[in-house]
Amino acid sequence: MTGVTVIAEPRPKTRNGTALLIGLAVVLLLSALLGLGIGSSSMTLERLLLAVIGQGAQTDELIIWTLRAPRVLLSGLAGMTLALAGLLLQRATRNPLAAPSVLGITDGAALGAVGFLFLFSNESNSLTVSIYWQPLAAACGAAVFAVLVAVLAKGAARGPVSLILHGFALGKLAQAGVTMLMIVGPVYRANQAATWLAGSVHQARWIDVAIISVLLAAIVPVVLLLARRMDQLLLDDASAEASGLPVMQTQALLLALAVVLTAAAVSFVGAIGFVGLIAPHAARLLLGTRALPVMIGTAFIGAVLVVLADVVVRYLFAPFEVPTGAVTALIGAPYFLYILFRSGRAHA
Amino acid sequence: MKRAFLILGLLVPVLAAASLQFGVHYTSPAEVWRALTVGGDDQAALIVTTLRVPRTIIAVLVGAGLGLSGLLMQTVTRNPLAEPGLLGINAGAAFAAVLMVTLLGIEAPLPLTLAACAGALTTATLIYCMAWLGNDSASPLHLLLAGLVMMALLTSGVQVALVSSERAMEELLFWLSGAFTNGQVALLLPAALIMGTIAACCVFSSRLLDVLTADDATAGALGVPVVAARGTAFAAAAILAGISVALAGSVNFVGLAAPHLARRLGARSHIRLIPLSMLAGASLALAADIASRFLIYPAQAPVGAVLAMIGVPVLLMLLRRKGTAAA
Repeated sequence: MTGVTVIAEPRPKTRNGTALLIGLAVVLLLSALLGLGIGSSSMTLERLLLAVIGQGAQTDELIIWTLRAPRVLLSGLAGMTLALAGLLLQRATRNPLAAPSVLGITDGAALGAVGFLFLFSNESNSLTVSIYWQPLAAACGAAVFAVLVAVLAKGAARGPVSLILHGFALGKLAQAGVTMLMIVGPVYRANQAATWLAGSVHQARWIDVAIISVLLAAIVPVVLLLARRMDQLLLDDASAEASGLPVMQTQALLLALAVVLTAAAVSFVGAIGFVGLIAPHAARLLLGTRALPVMIGTAFIGAVLVVLADVVVRYLFAPFEVPTGAVTALIGAPYFLYILFRSGRAHA
Repeated sequence: MKRAFLILGLLVPVLAAASLQFGVHYTSPAEVWRALTVGGDDQAALIVTTLRVPRTIIAVLVGAGLGLSGLLMQTVTRNPLAEPGLLGINAGAAFAAVLMVTLLGIEAPLPLTLAACAGALTTATLIYCMAWLGNDSASPLHLLLAGLVMMALLTSGVQVALVSSERAMEELLFWLSGAFTNGQVALLLPAALIMGTIAACCVFSSRLLDVLTADDATAGALGVPVVAARGTAFAAAAILAGISVALAGSVNFVGLAAPHLARRLGARSHIRLIPLSMLAGASLALAADIASRFLIYPAQAPVGAVLAMIGVPVLLMLLRRKGTAAA
């Protein structure tokens, strides 16, 4: 059972972190350009760049600035947010399999968001209160499920896999609730339903981008300040306490931040899964274990993943709005199986 | 033990009768009886004969089939948490069936069932290899986790296939969380025959299944061809799951809860576990289906959502139990 923690061992090798981070930023920029260029009318790079700087044809500028730019930005920001949430959860639980989607937190947030739509809609399916309260409802849902998972898993058999199973089980419960509310509430088509069950960025608006940016700007500095504590948390409880870290308090703080981050992402893009799992792993593979570079790397990789997943959705499945979360799950689920069984073998 | 058979044996017909009576329109027992025996073309009779009778039969068949399938999987993998839904085998069957519908445009019941069975068998083979790979190091929890991730993967596949062919939400919900309402009536008889045959074979070889609950070395020493027996039983479980999916979409948690209910009632040997699991599965499916008609009245809740609300607590309770977590 303890075998799973083997891969969390610190890597002694130091790497040229700055160069790698700059490289990741370039990859992110290129993915964003790809996201802007690909769609029902593809553009050459020249036309695209002209439109971006405001010198292009009017239709090009319209397509870029009102349709694609908010979508690409929202994908990137949501990816960053979910990836950071995954990293915080993996550090807080010291469990490499943890992520907002596998711990049922994204489903809890989706339940909160759909519950909000259900409670505050009138007969003609229009909202009676401002939509800006929706992130708060999502945060409540996410928090309730995070606490439930933590409390129930604590009472049961210990071990990393047991924790994840509790998350999965409660996530199924939240999904059942979402389904139920969708039937009585204002959701009619499969793609809308899939948005809440699997996550999608196809309804991106500038206002969404603005709100999620503000939330990220508020939370990210706090997360960065916690980098040192996250390094200390890699030690076992006794050593961490001895190094002056209030372990329980730090874990609770990380968990709370992860809940808020998840809720922020889910209330705009739905329950996109597995980004929070893959991005921290990829970042650690590239950058080692020190929290600060890994954090920045995780955010970049998360953004790249969701932006590219959205490109895949638009390129392969247009004009249908296949949920972005289905694409991230197609990549993430096999990777999860790989970690699960690699760690099993390492133990044997 | 006799009492357990008596309780469940009575519960199934009682629930089935309730399932024929209750719904958005209440039908009195006298009207149900008249509709079943005489027929007629008034509204009450039509509701009973064309809607509620097939729905009830599907619930009984699927519940019993999944109960048996779950029992077989738990026996074969020696894992109390195994079940076709949580191991992703239902999702595999649904994915194959959905591909058949969306890519090839074939919606006839027979090819759909064959596709579902093929999908279930393929997924079952993958999961079984994983169980076998992780045999010495992985705990029962590892297998379940692998299954759940497999389920997430295949569910995404179903979503991609259905959304990219512009299907209605009902269809998505049918394949992902199951429904007893829109099954094909033509499938009922062949499905019942195949399920009955598999159940009979299981009862016939119940001693063999008892031996399989022991570890491989012990079972081998008792003269059982272990690998072949486990493989066959797992394949039978997958076929049961495939047929259930063709009838009612992916109905999860019944296969987990039913065998545990049977064990709770005191059954230990397979000769008793098999019929009790099937009866428990049928009761569970019927009860969930009846509840689904009233939970968000007058709309109908998806039965999968109702079963998740029953099944998740059962799963959490099993996770809490000692022995499940031990590697």
